[in-house]
Amino acid sequence: MSDKYKKILMVLIPLMIAIAMPLIVTDNYFRGIFIMTLIYIIVVLGLNFITGLTGQMNLGTAGIFAMGSYTTALLSTKLGISPWLTIIGSIIMGLIIGVGLGYPSLRVQGVYLALTTIGFGEIVRILISNFKFTNGIMGIRDIPAFTIGSFSFDDKLARYYLYLVFVVIMGVVAYRITNSKWGRLFKAIRDNYEAVQAVGVDIAKPKVLAFTLAAIYGCVAGSLYAVHMEFITPSVYTFDLSTTFIVMMMLGGIGSVPGCILGAVVCTILPELLRDFGNWYWIIFSILVLLVILFRPNGIISFLKTRKKSVKEGVK
Amino acid sequence: MANVLTVEHLTKKFAGLTAVNDLSFTMKERTIHSLIGPNGSGKSTTINMCTGSLPITSGTVKYRDEIISGRVLHEVASRNIGRTFQNLKLFGSMTVEENLMVGMQAQMKDGILKFLVSPASAKAEEKRANERAMEVLDYIGMYKYRNETVANLAYGQQKLTELGRSIMTAPKLLFLDEPAAGLNPSERVEFVKILLKVFDDGIDLFLIEHNMDVVMNISNYITVINFGSKIAEGTPKEIQNNDEVIAAYLGSQFKKK
Repeated sequence: MSDKYKKILMVLIPLMIAIAMPLIVTDNYFRGIFIMTLIYIIVVLGLNFITGLTGQMNLGTAGIFAMGSYTTALLSTKLGISPWLTIIGSIIMGLIIGVGLGYPSLRVQGVYLALTTIGFGEIVRILISNFKFTNGIMGIRDIPAFTIGSFSFDDKLARYYLYLVFVVIMGVVAYRITNSKWGRLFKAIRDNYEAVQAVGVDIAKPKVLAFTLAAIYGCVAGSLYAVHMEFITPSVYTFDLSTTFIVMMMLGGIGSVPGCILGAVVCTILPELLRDFGNWYWIIFSILVLLVILFRPNGIISFLKTRKKSVKEGVK
Repeated sequence: MANVLTVEHLTKKFAGLTAVNDLSFTMKERTIHSLIGPNGSGKSTTINMCTGSLPITSGTVKYRDEIISGRVLHEVASRNIGRTFQNLKLFGSMTVEENLMVGMQAQMKDGILKFLVSPASAKAEEKRANERAMEVLDYIGMYKYRNETVANLAYGQQKLTELGRSIMTAPKLLFLDEPAAGLNPSERVEFVKILLKVFDDGIDLFLIEHNMDVVMNISNYITVINFGSKIAEGTPKEIQNNDEVIAAYLGSQFKKK
């Protein structure tokens, strides 16, 4: 089979599974888990730009996610703006965060950048917990659902398919960027930023771009989360959530778009399947994660990848 | 012939140590200019200052008529000044082809929005870069290794990849920091052939090198430094007969009768 057909199948099969899943599993609780999976896929696809490809550790994704959620929640409940339009608000918020967090982060690297981003996440959480207009720790309730005319996406099945459309669009964009000159540049910065400068590229711009993409994806996912939950509180957006996103990316395959999708799916659904083990399920899940990271550092996706041609095979 | 590079009173101090001290020299157009000297004499520091990798303490560096001292690495590079590094700086996780394609990045002007809304334009831009990469790969004899991950290659091939990436930036002046170091004799011969081809194609070369066979055979002009200061300059023949250079660096076996 040619590579082209293999690629088409690699997209079609997971997409068909994604379309069929909520029809096969009709339990509303599990449909809710599937929706959460879609939301997390978007976050991890964004995180992949900055941490997976560019190699800049971002441990403040929960803060970005919160900013998206609160943008939608506040705009729709306080100003009565349509949830569709609040998505645009979220994208603008992502731009602001990307530039606001991206430029200062040019001065710090490695563990210092990790600490800076943790600081960002915590500042956001503390602020939304204390501001009056965000309703403090009580959170915001009655966030309206997406509607088209008289049709409302408040049913979980309809909402699942709507969110799947978001995932497909954002997944295609992520895939295109990753496999373009931008993705190549992000990886080059990760491998050796001085060599990138030596070919005449100011690394500030691509770094800020990667931060901005991560922030836009995180904020849009945050918006979808707020609409899905209808009620949000600051207690969700913790440092734990940021590390969960990192685990999803590492487990699936750092730097790879299909890997990120797979990681988000496994990390969201597997704990639910392991619930029968009672209190042991987190330990079992953690051991599985550790084993994958230890023995397949390129993630679960590396099981599916074929070996590249060796030097000898490449020589004609 | 016009001056390509003019270095005037260049000085670099690291805390108490003066690595380069009041160094002045000029490099003429269409020459291969070498900078030689013992280990620790300040050669790499000089290149690093000229290319903006290292801030200078005092003095000026001029590329043709423009002062480039005070500019950072990417600003210098964007003036068609390429460089390679003493310790190779490659994108280890990427293929040879991808490494070269990054070399073309600054010339690929399409922004992210244009990229997203106009796939055809993005494709055309990528195709142009890819075609150029294939030409350069062929030029440096690395075409057959194009799909190999750089980290898996032998040292000589990695050096060629770094050179190829610099050529992709379409430089007019290329700084090479010890290009022949670590190469076996046959690799060295091949590498020198490629360097001469690069020079013949219109790229002026400034190199630091310890291998005197390479330096004396391909250089048009040589500047010698010791303890950060210039001790001699001239043609290879003049340098080989300079008593101070022989005493400080070359040794008597290089003296030309």
